[in-house]
Amino acid sequence: MSYLLRRLGLYAVAGFAALTLNFFLPRFMPGDPAAALFGRFQGRLKPEALEALRQAFGLSGEPLWRQYLTYLSDLTRGELGVSVAYFPEPVAHVIGTGVGWTLLLAGVSVLVAFVLGTGLGIWLAWRRGSFWDSTLPPLLALLGAFPYFWTAMALLFLLGFQMGWFPLRHAHSDHLSPAWTFEFVWDAWLHLILPAFTLVFTTLGGWMLSMRNNMVAELGSDYVKLARAKGLPEGRIMWAYAARNALLPNVTGLGMALGFVVSGALLTEVIFSYPGVGYLMLQAIRAQDYPLMQGLFLMITFAVLLANFLVDLAYQRLDPRTRAE
Amino acid sequence: MLAFFVGVVLANVVACVPEQPAAKTGYVTISVEQKASWTRNFNPLVASGGARWPSQGGIYEPMMVFNTVQNQWVPWLATSYAWSEDGLSLSFVIRKNVRWSDGKPFAAQDVVATFELMKAFPALDAGGAWKFLNDVSLRADDEVVFKLNKKYVPGLHIVAQQPVVPRHIWSNVKDPVAFANPNPVATGPFTEVERFENQIYVLGLNPYYWQKEKIGIQGLRFPAYPGNEQANLALINGEIDWAGNFVPAIDRIYVAKDPEHHHYWFPRIGTTVFLYVDVNKAPFSNVEVRRALSQAIDRELMVKVAMFGYTEPAYPTGLADNLDAWRAPKVAAQMDWMTHSQNKALARLEKEGWARNAEGELTHPDHGALEMEIIVVSGWSDWVRACQVVAQNLKSIGVKAKVRTYDFGTWFEKMQKGEFQAGIGWSTDGASPYSFYKWLMSPDTVVAKPKMASSNWHRFGVDEVKPPLNVLETEPDLEKQKAAGVELQRLFAQHFPAIPLFTNPAWGAFNSKRFRGFPSQEHPYARLSPNGLPGALLVLTQLTQAPSGAEQP
Repeated sequence: MSYLLRRLGLYAVAGFAALTLNFFLPRFMPGDPAAALFGRFQGRLKPEALEALRQAFGLSGEPLWRQYLTYLSDLTRGELGVSVAYFPEPVAHVIGTGVGWTLLLAGVSVLVAFVLGTGLGIWLAWRRGSFWDSTLPPLLALLGAFPYFWTAMALLFLLGFQMGWFPLRHAHSDHLSPAWTFEFVWDAWLHLILPAFTLVFTTLGGWMLSMRNNMVAELGSDYVKLARAKGLPEGRIMWAYAARNALLPNVTGLGMALGFVVSGALLTEVIFSYPGVGYLMLQAIRAQDYPLMQGLFLMITFAVLLANFLVDLAYQRLDPRTRAE
Repeated sequence: MLAFFVGVVLANVVACVPEQPAAKTGYVTISVEQKASWTRNFNPLVASGGARWPSQGGIYEPMMVFNTVQNQWVPWLATSYAWSEDGLSLSFVIRKNVRWSDGKPFAAQDVVATFELMKAFPALDAGGAWKFLNDVSLRADDEVVFKLNKKYVPGLHIVAQQPVVPRHIWSNVKDPVAFANPNPVATGPFTEVERFENQIYVLGLNPYYWQKEKIGIQGLRFPAYPGNEQANLALINGEIDWAGNFVPAIDRIYVAKDPEHHHYWFPRIGTTVFLYVDVNKAPFSNVEVRRALSQAIDRELMVKVAMFGYTEPAYPTGLADNLDAWRAPKVAAQMDWMTHSQNKALARLEKEGWARNAEGELTHPDHGALEMEIIVVSGWSDWVRACQVVAQNLKSIGVKAKVRTYDFGTWFEKMQKGEFQAGIGWSTDGASPYSFYKWLMSPDTVVAKPKMASSNWHRFGVDEVKPPLNVLETEPDLEKQKAAGVELQRLFAQHFPAIPLFTNPAWGAFNSKRFRGFPSQEHPYARLSPNGLPGALLVLTQLTQAPSGAEQP
């Protein structure tokens, strides 16, 4: 219990530090949102409009510390402010348009890659020295070394554009509206395959390699030898003893990966025109949209902290040492 | 990198693309804004780019539309306009029998109310109308009078093209600046939001449109494309009917796929791109040095390398093609420094006391070596390439020139604060040379150095330009205006405050398979590029379904 309390205290400190950084870092960027917007029009907007824009965005000359206090008090009321790039849409609403699709895309790919990669790792460690053990790891490591946006473009070009097997863009067909019908779910699934596959494809190797190596180390340890000597069934040694211990580093990794799921897979989303938050983030930074950046960073921070907390809980189940007072 | 790769991919694909299902018949698919997902905002009064296209000309309408290709006014919600004798009031006769899309009649009071709204909320006044307006009122039931606080002819553009909103709706809106206006009530042809989702929105016809007989289509649809690459992919695939984005090597990757239906028109009517130098510091404060630098630049090479040959070297006095009626050929003919010649550039510099040393570098007894750092936005690849051409050209005459790229925010701050030796940048466009030259050389636009200047970054101003600018501000007579325009060009040549490079094209491409009536080089009734509102109204009211083969796949 005290272990968890200590962790919670740590999270509170980390959360507050992140809130503060979220506020100040974007404001250290040169320029302001009105200037960024004005610049995008490249002379088509009269210089006089810059003033009207500053007014509309409420860019006051208030000192930074006072803006910071306003920001904190707004946050306690759950107010994230109004987006500049999507003016006058509230930040929460803008994020809401993308977060569902991102959770689906990145969540599904992380889970699939984790389960598949970890399972493969266990299996390969068990059959180490076999044909698959000597071919799969280097092959997957090679694939993992490809930049994932490159893989995404290659797949989009070959399977989407040339073969026409998969849709080229978006999370569902334009003629359908989101609904819990078989037609829509099937359509969304078709749109999910290619981008998700890209992400799974490039991260699978990492999960597999780390699991395999942990597993191999565990299999050489004394308690496994003892278990063998006692004549425990092979399956039980593999799953209940070796794999359970070897899993710890991967669980930490999963926590981090899940936390970062909400930040979206930026380039994959851009290439497949997938309407998630990754692209929102890119746009927020380009437009110097402070409120939207703050909202997105806030969401990511809390997701990472929450995921870590869940990992801590899982550790308590998996590793008895953390339970010792 | 990303752009490069997709560019290569696109360039290599010409054959065997499956047709994707596009839409119901009669809906024109358009790509103008580039966003990953749409937010439902149809507020035409905020210039933030937050409102969906075509809020400012297609959903809402102005009193008059300026046709930038024909250089003339097209009456819209007003049937005519007139300046008073003293030039201090501007009146519009409002069209009768126009209805809002909820069936209520449109009236002159709506115009007055719109401008009152802009007065009460300066954030809505993007054109700065209330800087020259004193009062807006009704003279008769169908006539609106704008009283000005000074003679200001360019004000016509700001007033006439202001989108007009219905008083019976907007008078109940508490905060019109933050109002997203999800269900617009407007006078334009496409007011009904039939669908609105993250990825696509569809606009249908206004049941009460006042020139219904002109509308030959059922509506407009807008799929969301996050960037140029995705929009181009859809364009090549035949899914888009009308697009306003840049397409690399368009003849090869777009037109060649279906020469009968795939067309584009990139007229040079955008803003002119300049090389700005710090005119307040030696050696660039010397006009002869600026002319010599200009003469050393090979603009023919630049437009080929940087702009895919889509444009031509700038007109010597900087005016874009849409202002060709204003151009002064006599002035232009004297500006020999706008034509590339290394020898003449060197001769010009030698006259000013510069000489090449043993290493071939230009040096001056007072100023030392001639150095120049050109700043540009990283990732704006056309401009980066243009700067590299400049640097190479200058190096070959012995200038120590180099290009430095910055992130947009940093670059723009340096430009605004005047912290640069040289930088590439846009200029201000407009329907007359007024804004263009005002922001290039009027002392009224010069801001002292550490302060931010929204334009005139090079901070050049001479009092001589005030009289001709004043003519453009106060004199409605076109001949007198043109004479002032010539004088401004003469002053531009004399002082040569910045170096014109090339004029940006207005990007526009269309697919005539399903729809007809787009403007083109052969039929230039308006500008094709959908990027300018309310000008796009001229096109939206001309489109019709193609007679045969109109069925969409």
